[in-house]
Amino acid sequence: VKEIMATDNVLEAHGNEQKGDSWSGGESPFKASYGKLMMWYFLLSDAFTFAGFLIAYGALRFSMPAWPLPDTVFSTFPGGIHEAPLIFVTLMTFILIVSSVTMVRAVQEGHRENQKGVTFWMLLTIIGGLTFLGCQAWEWTTLIAGENMSLTRNTFGTHTEAGVYIDDAHGHLYKEGDEKEKFEKGDTYLLHEHHVGGHGDDAHGDSHGDDAGHKKGHDEGAHGGDGEHDAGHDEGSHDDDGHGDAGHDDGKGEGKKPTAEKGGADEVHTIQQHPGKEGEKQFVSRRFVTEAGNQGHQEFGPYQFGALFFFITGFHGFHVFSGVAFLLVILLNVISGVYKDRKNGYEMVEKIGLYWHFVDLVWVFVFLAFYLL
Amino acid sequence: MANLLDEATYKNEVKGVWRVTLWLTIITILEVGFAMMYIYNVGGFEDMFPRIALNITFIIASLLKAFYIIAEFMHLKHENRALIISLGIPLIFLVWAIIAFMHEADAWYHMKGF
Repeated sequence: VKEIMATDNVLEAHGNEQKGDSWSGGESPFKASYGKLMMWYFLLSDAFTFAGFLIAYGALRFSMPAWPLPDTVFSTFPGGIHEAPLIFVTLMTFILIVSSVTMVRAVQEGHRENQKGVTFWMLLTIIGGLTFLGCQAWEWTTLIAGENMSLTRNTFGTHTEAGVYIDDAHGHLYKEGDEKEKFEKGDTYLLHEHHVGGHGDDAHGDSHGDDAGHKKGHDEGAHGGDGEHDAGHDEGSHDDDGHGDAGHDDGKGEGKKPTAEKGGADEVHTIQQHPGKEGEKQFVSRRFVTEAGNQGHQEFGPYQFGALFFFITGFHGFHVFSGVAFLLVILLNVISGVYKDRKNGYEMVEKIGLYWHFVDLVWVFVFLAFYLL
Repeated sequence: MANLLDEATYKNEVKGVWRVTLWLTIITILEVGFAMMYIYNVGGFEDMFPRIALNITFIIASLLKAFYIIAEFMHLKHENRALIISLGIPLIFLVWAIIAFMHEADAWYHMKGF
């Protein structure tokens, strides 16, 4: 009896002790400070936001028969380099990875209470973030101003059927075995802006100069003459301008992108304008015949693409932008010695570090969804 | 609360960061390399490696990169286990979200008559 009582007492005492400590606060079950914990849960919720966007992208893409091939969507590089698929985006990826590395170094120096080290590595991180934003600005500018992509207009046409292009100038199919003029289901090509009086197929301007430009205008004239077999064909009204302004237009077109389609610069491929209102941009595209003998006309690609692209990369870019802003504020605090006085191992740097790595993490999946898959 | 690390631990951690950086770089280069080989069909790559296999490779590589960033850069691997679980469990919902929405998207595709 005595023994049992003693045990009870011990248990009781033990229980009270536990209860008293846990419920009266002062313990952190996750061994992390409040600020760090809340940053983690914010990032978890943000991960769901981004996942929602990317899943929406996946669902819309999955419900389409054709979607722009990722490597044709962005294949330009500063300095007039075209047809360099993925290179620029890979550079952006590396910039973000490197800025993530410099951020970890800043956090590590913070743990050692090394003010100079934290300042140095945070400065490098900010430079990395700004460089990434600059790259994204260039990418968007190229897509909007150069390739005429918008929220609702996807200038990356994508074939839903396999077939061959029709040669309008001569009114027959391309010769047998002409590899250039065949296309496969899923092929993507960039539609070009149609300038009044010539068409904006700049690959010709670059490779053949004014003569080719003139020839182009001529072809278009012939095309206009054949107008009866083209539904929705409004080129006739531009025919006269076509001859006169071809050279001029060529000049304007220089420095723009060549077609992304396989085969690139053909002199006599079929072109057709999208019927457009006065003052609207008009684009050239191609007519084709399928293997079953049906004729088709390739218009713009799935229009959701632009909205998804700009919204998701824009939302990520906004995260980078706000990350840079927070980094700047915290860097100023580091320099002025705010965290030195707190003597908590520069925990604020650690918190913004978590956010910054998350931005890098999201980019891994944006890169996967938009450029790799 | 000052969390001053001794020199050996510090050096080890710095080394760890560069190691992870190297891995992230290698994985990214491999991803882009595979994508390029597919685009230009280097050595009949396009016929040898079906697109679906390539996509699965990309997804696994990205998840690996995500693991490295979360575990090492965000230091989660070295945090309290309860914290890891409380962050990891909710992500299970995403697995279902992906399955459900892809299934739904397939239904949309068929509704459009393809």
